[in-house]
Amino acid sequence: MIFDVYGPLVLSLLLALVGPVIARRVAPALAAPVLASAAVLTATATTWSLVLLAAALLGDAPPVIREAREAGRPVMDPVPEVIGLGASAALLVVAVRLHRAVRAERSTRRVLRRLCAGQPADTELIVAASAVPQAFAIPGRPGRILVTSAMLSALAPAERRVLLAHERAHLTYRHGALVTAVTLAAAANPLLRPVRAAVAFLVERWADERAAALVGDRRATARALARAALTAGRARRACALGFTDRAVTRRIAALHTTPPPRLWTAAAAVLALGTLPALLAADATGDLMGLLSGALS
Amino acid sequence: MAGTESRGRAERRSAGELESEVLAALWATERPLTPAEIQAEVDGALAYNTVHTILKRLYDKGLVLRDAAGRRGAYRPAKNAAQLTAEAMHEALDRGPDPIAALQQFVTGLSPEEERALRELLAGGGA
Repeated sequence: MIFDVYGPLVLSLLLALVGPVIARRVAPALAAPVLASAAVLTATATTWSLVLLAAALLGDAPPVIREAREAGRPVMDPVPEVIGLGASAALLVVAVRLHRAVRAERSTRRVLRRLCAGQPADTELIVAASAVPQAFAIPGRPGRILVTSAMLSALAPAERRVLLAHERAHLTYRHGALVTAVTLAAAANPLLRPVRAAVAFLVERWADERAAALVGDRRATARALARAALTAGRARRACALGFTDRAVTRRIAALHTTPPPRLWTAAAAVLALGTLPALLAADATGDLMGLLSGALS
Repeated sequence: MAGTESRGRAERRSAGELESEVLAALWATERPLTPAEIQAEVDGALAYNTVHTILKRLYDKGLVLRDAAGRRGAYRPAKNAAQLTAEAMHEALDRGPDPIAALQQFVTGLSPEEERALRELLAGGGA
């Protein structure tokens, strides 16, 4: 029981360490869904473990102890009270964080719906007549691609094709859903934040690889990225947003080498790492049920 | 040989995708474009009739206009919906970095040293 409940926490640390390594070595189309699934499984398991630890407090409830004494059973205390209380507090924090994440997600969706308003229903590309160079995919049915006129006029014809192919890949492979899932997982378990960052980076790499395959030229794809980044960078410095995670540079560097292999063994290992916490949590559930039913019967 | 290959690629693209590319080409320039110019911009291997069909569809949707004042047969993008979208986007950007930053943007910010490296890449990369 003890290892079963704390195991998922340790394993989520391990996943957070492995995530970024997998992101560099494995083909993004394989690494992204595998890491996201592992993160969701792990977050579910750690949250459930907190529920179990908090529920173990029930075992200390006076009626349960009295009944157990009357029945002549030894009173077992599987979880120190402090930890039970700590788990309850942590559970509260998780609930608040999840609530916030869901609210942020909803507000983003609302904004996106407004951007599509007034556009013909069956059109993929939405152009915003704006001097701010910007491009992103809008998931939904149908999925849309929003690009500003400033971004379009900065790119050469072949580079525009790369941009459209990249955004289209986000829609085709439902990258939005993948990132949402891993965002919620990281909200439930903050230890998984590096995995979230890895998946967010991987979906960009995945879309880059798809675009490169479609235009049939990795270097041209890299140049399109560089041009778009320089165009957007100039405008963004003006609004004093100096943030950079070197993501674009890393993506361009990756396009200058051969695509990373589909390492199925590494993918399987990550999936196993994600399944293990779930198994442990399930086992701990059985233990707790046995404990409580033993005490209550 | 290369011609048929790129033609094959062009034909595999769906009508919706070609619409996007034609619309993107029209927005990328200030001046109206004739179907022949669009054909050259989007993909030389694209059939002229296909370009016409796509333009007609975009026109029916109200996304492009025929350039009455300028050259005959030239098209330019319709600005109304695009301006509304831009207003909604700016409003979202002004309200805070959250909604748009949460999206998968094509590119994110650059540091000065990264910017230098990218400039060198574009200058040295050639065509």
